[in-house]
Amino acid sequence: MFGPLFPELLAAAQGGDEQAFAALWRDLQPAVLRYFRVAAGEAAEDLAADTWVSVIRSLGRFRGDERAFRSWVFTVARHRAIDWRRQAARRPTISVPVEQLAERPAPDDPVAAVFEAQSTRAALALLAELPTDQAEVVALRVLGGLEIAEVARIVGKRPGAVRVLAHRGLRRLASRLEAAGLVRGVTR
Amino acid sequence: MSDEDALGADMHRLLGSLEAGTSAGDQDTLERLLDGPLDPGSVPPGYGGLARLLAAATAPAAPDELAGQQRALAEFTAVMRSTPPTLSPRRTVVPRKVFTIKAAAAALVAVLSVGGIAAAATGHLPGQASPVAGQAAATTAADAAAQGLGKAAAANVGGTAQAGATDAQGRESAVGPDATGAARAGLCQAWQSGQGDDHGRRMDSVAFQALATAAGGAGNIAGYCKDVTAGDHGQGKASPPSVSAPPTSASRPGNGPPANPGPPAGTGPGGHGQGGPPTTSG
Repeated sequence: MFGPLFPELLAAAQGGDEQAFAALWRDLQPAVLRYFRVAAGEAAEDLAADTWVSVIRSLGRFRGDERAFRSWVFTVARHRAIDWRRQAARRPTISVPVEQLAERPAPDDPVAAVFEAQSTRAALALLAELPTDQAEVVALRVLGGLEIAEVARIVGKRPGAVRVLAHRGLRRLASRLEAAGLVRGVTR
Repeated sequence: MSDEDALGADMHRLLGSLEAGTSAGDQDTLERLLDGPLDPGSVPPGYGGLARLLAAATAPAAPDELAGQQRALAEFTAVMRSTPPTLSPRRTVVPRKVFTIKAAAAALVAVLSVGGIAAAATGHLPGQASPVAGQAAATTAADAAAQGLGKAAAANVGGTAQAGATDAQGRESAVGPDATGAARAGLCQAWQSGQGDDHGRRMDSVAFQALATAAGGAGNIAGYCKDVTAGDHGQGKASPPSVSAPPTSASRPGNGPPANPGPPAGTGPGGHGQGGPPTTSG
């Protein structure tokens, strides 16, 4: 977040200043990429790049503060994620049911990795195992740093519904991690 | 939030707790976890693993997460070149007083497209293009001023010229603008306005090293520049280039986190001076 610097940076980027745009990009790209790692797995890098293409093309018309900018970028990102899911559903070879995704062998056991190394990728892999609507809301709230009202606007749900989805998602993760933790604690 | 929404939220919360058999304390813990990373030791029993997971998920950016920067910048440059940037209020206010809007816009578009091409060149041809970029922008600054395009246009170009200098700073092979030629006035004025606390820092840049060389040493710049500002280039005070106009924070070296040239984050030498510390997303 840039705070008071943001308006000047945005204006410069809108005027074509490459470095100002790079600053905005570096600030938001990690969050956007992580959102896609949860929402679209292996397609994350490409979808993040596509998102920036859209953002760049409409940048000149954007008006608003830093929160609004963030919210807008994630609105664009979510559209990309939805398009991707739709296309994936039309291509049977690529479409993998969520249940199977969870069963796929990961390079490392995500639970163990989160416990041992605080690995970001492992944490995102666990978030991705949540049901889509819960994963989406948790990702926007936690990774996007957006507030409930902003997430509600982006996903087209009421704030109360967003809160419930986020809580459900977190409880599910908590139980999974605690269960794993108990097992690990008992195992000698 | 309207009353209806608040009521809805309360009802959802109630339903949520009934459903999961959790207390209001759990709700609070979950909300705090959603708001930002918590120390796993400070959360109630049962949430430590979750706190750790969320902290890992929001850890500071790793270099590989910023690997797409060149791709994004190339796209940015291409789009900005094909569609001239929107004239933001900041850019139109001053010229409007001096010229017709049309003339000002034409001048700005011409000037910005030079800057855009220069920027594109620095993005794609490391080691070669930055002197060209710096020189092109600085020359344009001088020309624009000489032709009486007025303060606003000159100030805009000044910003571009300085961005060029910033880029140049990040390269070993960079050569600054030709300080004996058309860029002399601009460099001198930038140097003079930079005298003070950050004077030394300015002198680190390749552009100002070029000025020092042209003057025959850093100690001679004052004398060398006196002639210029006395008016023998016919530019007088109508051409405040880079520094007198408030440059964007991003195009100014060492002025803050966004553009602070730090250790290259995975781009290696010959990066573009954008290797500042990764900013966290929160």
